[in-house]
Amino acid sequence: MRPVYVLGVGAHPWGKFPDKPQLQLAIEALTAAIADAGVGWRDLEGLVAASSRFEGGMGWGLHANEVMQAVAETGAPAINVGGGCAAGGIAVHTAASMVASGECEVIAALGAERMPKGFIPRPPGIPDDITDTDFLRWVAVGATNPAYWALEARRRMHDFGTTAETFAMASVLMHQNAVGNPLARYRTACTVDDVLRSPTVSDPLHLLEICAVSDGAAAVVLGSEAQARRLGGPLVQVAGSAIATGQFGDPAVRIPTVSMNADTSVQHTSEVGGAVSAALAAAGMGTSDVDLLEMADNSAWHVLAWPEQFGFLEPGQADWMIEHGELGIEGKLPINPSGGFLSFGEATTAQGVLQVCELTWQLRQQAQGRQVPGAKVGLSAVLGLGANGASVVLKA
Amino acid sequence: MAVIEDPVTEQVPVAEDLFRVTADGAALVGTRCTGCGTHYFPKSLSCRNPRCEAKAVEQVDLGRSGRLYSYTVQAYRPPALFRTDSWAPYAIGLVELPEGLRVLAMLVGSELSDLRIEMPLELAVHVLYRDDQGRDVVTYAYAPPAGGGAS
Ligand SMILES: [Zn+2]
Repeated sequence: MRPVYVLGVGAHPWGKFPDKPQLQLAIEALTAAIADAGVGWRDLEGLVAASSRFEGGMGWGLHANEVMQAVAETGAPAINVGGGCAAGGIAVHTAASMVASGECEVIAALGAERMPKGFIPRPPGIPDDITDTDFLRWVAVGATNPAYWALEARRRMHDFGTTAETFAMASVLMHQNAVGNPLARYRTACTVDDVLRSPTVSDPLHLLEICAVSDGAAAVVLGSEAQARRLGGPLVQVAGSAIATGQFGDPAVRIPTVSMNADTSVQHTSEVGGAVSAALAAAGMGTSDVDLLEMADNSAWHVLAWPEQFGFLEPGQADWMIEHGELGIEGKLPINPSGGFLSFGEATTAQGVLQVCELTWQLRQQAQGRQVPGAKVGLSAVLGLGANGASVVLKA
Repeated sequence: MAVIEDPVTEQVPVAEDLFRVTADGAALVGTRCTGCGTHYFPKSLSCRNPRCEAKAVEQVDLGRSGRLYSYTVQAYRPPALFRTDSWAPYAIGLVELPEGLRVLAMLVGSELSDLRIEMPLELAVHVLYRDDQGRDVVTYAYAPPAGGGAS
């Protein structure tokens, strides 16, 4: 296996774009990434797309094919990957593996999404019976996604004494970070009082402590060391990347299940934890080598719990860290300098690609308005439906 | 425990094979692996334990009682797939069962302010709505024990 480098990154801002087809968002993000890399469409020896189930892809998730047929019919291979909201991370990992194996010199990974309004509907053709837990969680329990995160948050309050104010501080931090990021959808700073006065959605979580859904698109161009040196940009290496699925006994309250075989000796959210561990191992690094995290913060609970679950902090330590500013951009372990899902809203399959774009800007010292001082190593972590996890480690 | 207030109203479950009412009260319908003993809810096709080679499951009743592991009060009405005649913010619990499972369920029969982690709970049947044939559509839920729940 040979080293893999980030040649270019690009993203469309996050928001709601009812007048822009998803294909347009995809093309704009990919065009920006190609321009950033300094390559042309004909240089792409492959395109890996994170497949959406909401729009586009000819109804079959053929997103990479659709993009190539729209803008560059080069004959290069199209690879379409699933994995729910982790699909973006899986796409980057797949593209990196194709460079590492020697199959491609230059390849792009892409995620683009336009989210449906309101609650995400069940896919068509699924039977209304006990074989579909996504049916059961609605008809038998009425459990919304925030209810799952709230169950984790309530238990954390019991286990570690986390307070409503500390959860609110996690939301305040994400919104503060986003003030400096032109790609973020919500860029207004807020206070702990603002968060606690926003409507309760699923106790103890308030509206400002759960992520919205957004439209957005992001793309990365990866290549060999020879290509990176030829193009002459700042060298950012994909030091490691990995994908994983959930492990038996994982105690996480996993959407959309209605029961779990909880074994406290098994890692919580093991699909992501497994990917993080494997990506770090591939990079020959440990958690202490990582300067910043870009991770899925679907709720304020995630901001505190994930760095602990994946070994970056001790259990319960995130409360002290956030209360003392140590998870901020100038802190010991900056979390989501981009502003995270809480400030972007989740554009599901695009999110894992955007994380890698943000890490690249950070490691190039180009993250104007939100730069982590001296960032050299960054790690992404993303979770997808069906117990999918993905993680990418970048090194400057 | 289910209390049938109106004996002439027929009750139908919100989904077949999810729970049943026996002479001993309500029970969840699940499976147990005959090889490693792991329980599953709802019924599973196989055993998910990667260390188990048997992969043979049989149907069992489970979840008659448990303890509250965590809970939330859902303040917004869920989408229409969740049908209920009397909407008000309600509690959802994660209930730890002696069979080694944690189960997501509506919590009933308790003031929201009285909920506390580790409280003992018993399985109940809860009426969601009356359907267009005049039948009560019911789901499984957990409630404090009828005797007051000293434990
Ligand atoms: Zn077994």
